[in-house]
Formats: sequence, structure tokens, C-alpha cells
Amino acid sequence: MQSLYVEGNSAMHRLSPRVKLLSLAIFSIVLFITGNLVLLSLAVLAAAILYRMVGLPIGAALRRLRPIFLTIAVVALFNLLFNPWQQALVPPLRLTALMLLAAAVTATTSITAFIDEVTALARPLERTGRVRADDIGLALGLVLRFVPEIVDRYQAIREAHRARGLKVRPASLLAPLIILTLKDADNIAAAIDARGIRRHGS
Amino acid sequence: MRGTGLDIHFEGAGVSFGTRVALAPLTLGISGKRIGVIGLNGSGKTTFARLINGLTKPTVGRVTVNGRDTADEKTAAADVGFIFQSPQNQIIMPIVRDDIAFGLKRRGFTKAEIEAKVEGVLARFGAEALAGRRAHELSGGELQVAALCSVLATGPGILILDEPTNQLDLKNRALVEGIIAGLAESAIVITHDLELIAGFERVLLFHEGRLAADAPATEAIARYREIAL
Repeated sequence: MQSLYVEGNSAMHRLSPRVKLLSLAIFSIVLFITGNLVLLSLAVLAAAILYRMVGLPIGAALRRLRPIFLTIAVVALFNLLFNPWQQALVPPLRLTALMLLAAAVTATTSITAFIDEVTALARPLERTGRVRADDIGLALGLVLRFVPEIVDRYQAIREAHRARGLKVRPASLLAPLIILTLKDADNIAAAIDARGIRRHGS
Repeated sequence: MRGTGLDIHFEGAGVSFGTRVALAPLTLGISGKRIGVIGLNGSGKTTFARLINGLTKPTVGRVTVNGRDTADEKTAAADVGFIFQSPQNQIIMPIVRDDIAFGLKRRGFTKAEIEAKVEGVLARFGAEALAGRRAHELSGGELQVAALCSVLATGPGILILDEPTNQLDLKNRALVEGIIAGLAESAIVITHDLELIAGFERVLLFHEGRLAADAPATEAIARYREIAL
């Protein structure tokens, strides 16, 4: 039950969760409207400055983003293979800017505040009679809560491979990681039900 | 506390998964302050407990708690608190205070009520110092206390503890044992730790999905040794 939240009192921390989430949503839309390399580079720079304000040491800040950096690198590589470089740079710049701002928002918004805000924002959707705002808030909050757990699981499986002298291969890592993650998800769901958090008042 | 005590009835309640019988149909009344549940791994203990909380629905028969059918999801969790084998999976929020408040918030309590209840339940276990702690930094015993506080804050009358001393060192085991002994709520304790339930007036022994003994601790434990060894 670790958290991506970093305690602090930076300007980003003090900003209301609603402003941060809505800004992130608008920022992501704008990023996908423009294909201008200068604007996208400025967006990366601005998002990087905001992420730097979180207060994490540079090493720790970059470590958190390593898996996403790898994914963006793969996207960039495929784009470079099949497109001119000016065009190929657009998707990785968009994704990098988005990743940095999203990381800044998650690091400065506690899970409790996040759930409360998403629930409040989703409340109008209840009028459709098809969704419950509480469940949407809880589901998205649990995603944030689970990310560090999955990383811990990944490290534990890597260490188990090494302890047995086995070569660490993605195929042999992924299957146990997925199985353990699903098992954890089942346990958490049972705990939520046992505490009457999800089913109460339904 | 909602419930005034333990009043559980199994009315031919059983659970099967296809052809595999997890718990054979059972008719049983449970009342009293402390009930122990023992048995080998896979004997049906946890299925029995999950039926009481409504986490598992009976495939035959029904289970009632204080007269209410546990198949009714709205009421089952309100009457019966459940502490899982791994409390780290039970704690949803990273900070202890937030986790205790979380269940209350979802039940519609006001902010002031939530604060009072959080403080109250922490004070009850002398655990005020845990309030601002990060759950992943807690020891095994502290995690159990935090999980207990989160569950008891909502006021269930009955508490089910599944292997509460599992993986605890001697100090933390003694802490949890003391807490169980002092609980005002009725408690059903599922355990392999036979010392923990040695003083209980009633212990249920499960074997191969059936109730093999329903007796005072000494008698049930002796029967368990006959089966297991």
C-alpha cells in the first residue's frame, strides 16, 4: 500500500486537485491537437519544470518514469523507421510531455484527494442511471494505489529468478507478474467488499 | 456497535464449485463471545467464514446474522467485520488515518463524525501514534492493529479474524492475542495457532469440508490432533 504521492508543500501540492486534473485533461487534448515541434518541445520543458517542482531527487524522479520512458523509446524507434524525422518526433514529444505532467499531478495529489475529486467530477454522470460516481473514483484511485505494488512484485520476481540462477527474460517475468497482480486484485476486491465499501448503499 | 452479539445461523448452507464440495451443507447455530475455528488447510474454514460475511454466497441453504440473510450485500458487511490473513491487502489507503476514514466516508458520515470515530478507534487500541504513519512502513503487529481499527471504526458487532497471528513474531503475536482477548465485539477466530484459542469455550473443527467437531477447545484440539497426526 505504498503511494506515488510525495509529501511536500510545493506550488503543485497547494493547487486544488480539481484544477490539476482539469489542467491535465486540457493539456492532453491540446497536445494531440498540435503537431508543431516547437510548441511540443515547450510543452515538454514546461511539464519537466513542473515535475521538478515536486521535490523528488532527480534520480528518484527519473526512476519512477523509467518503464514509461522505455515505452516512449519504442514508439519513437518505430516512428523513426517509418516516417521522416520531423513527423517521427511528434508522438514521443507528446507522450513525454503528458507523462511528465501526469507524474507531477500524481506525485502532488494524495489518493484520498484524487478519489474525492474524481468522484465529484463523475457525479453528473449518475444522472444517466448507468454508473456510480463512487465506483469510478474508487476504481481510478485503486489504479494509482496499485502501481507501486506492481513494481514491487516485478522486483520480487526478478530477485527470485536471480536467486535461482535463472536468466531474467520478459516472457518468464510477465506470466507470474500478471498472475500475482490479478490475485492481488482479487484480494483487494474481497477486502473492499468485506468492509462494505463498494456494495454499501447499492 | 450495531450488533449486540453473535447470533449466526447456518440453515443447510453449503458451497460447491462444480463437483468439488468446499463446504458440505451445514446446519448450525452460533452464539457466544469467542468462537475458534480450526482444521487442516483446505478443510473449509475460510469458506465457512466468508459465508458469514457474505463474501461467498451459499450454493445451497442460507446463512443469517442477527436474523438477516448474508446474501443481502447491503447488510452483511455492516454486521460482520473481516480481518484477512494478509492485512496489507486489506489496507487500501497509504496513510493509516485515511484508511480508517475511507470506509466511514463511503457510508456517508460527516467530516466531524469521521474524525471523531477515527480518533476514537485509534485511542481504543492505544494506537494514536499510527494515525499519520504510512501503512507500508508498519510492522506486522502494527498492520494488524491498523486493519482492526479500519474494520471496527464502522461498528460491526461481529469480527472474523482469519489467521490473525500468521507470520507474526512473538512480541506482535502477544499484542494481537491481547487485543483479541479484550475485544468487546464477538469474535470468530480462524487459526492454526492452537494456543490462541486454547481458552475458548467453543471451537469448531472442520475436516474435508465438513464439521468434524463442535466442542470446548481442549476436546476439539485433541480431535484435531487425531485427524492431523
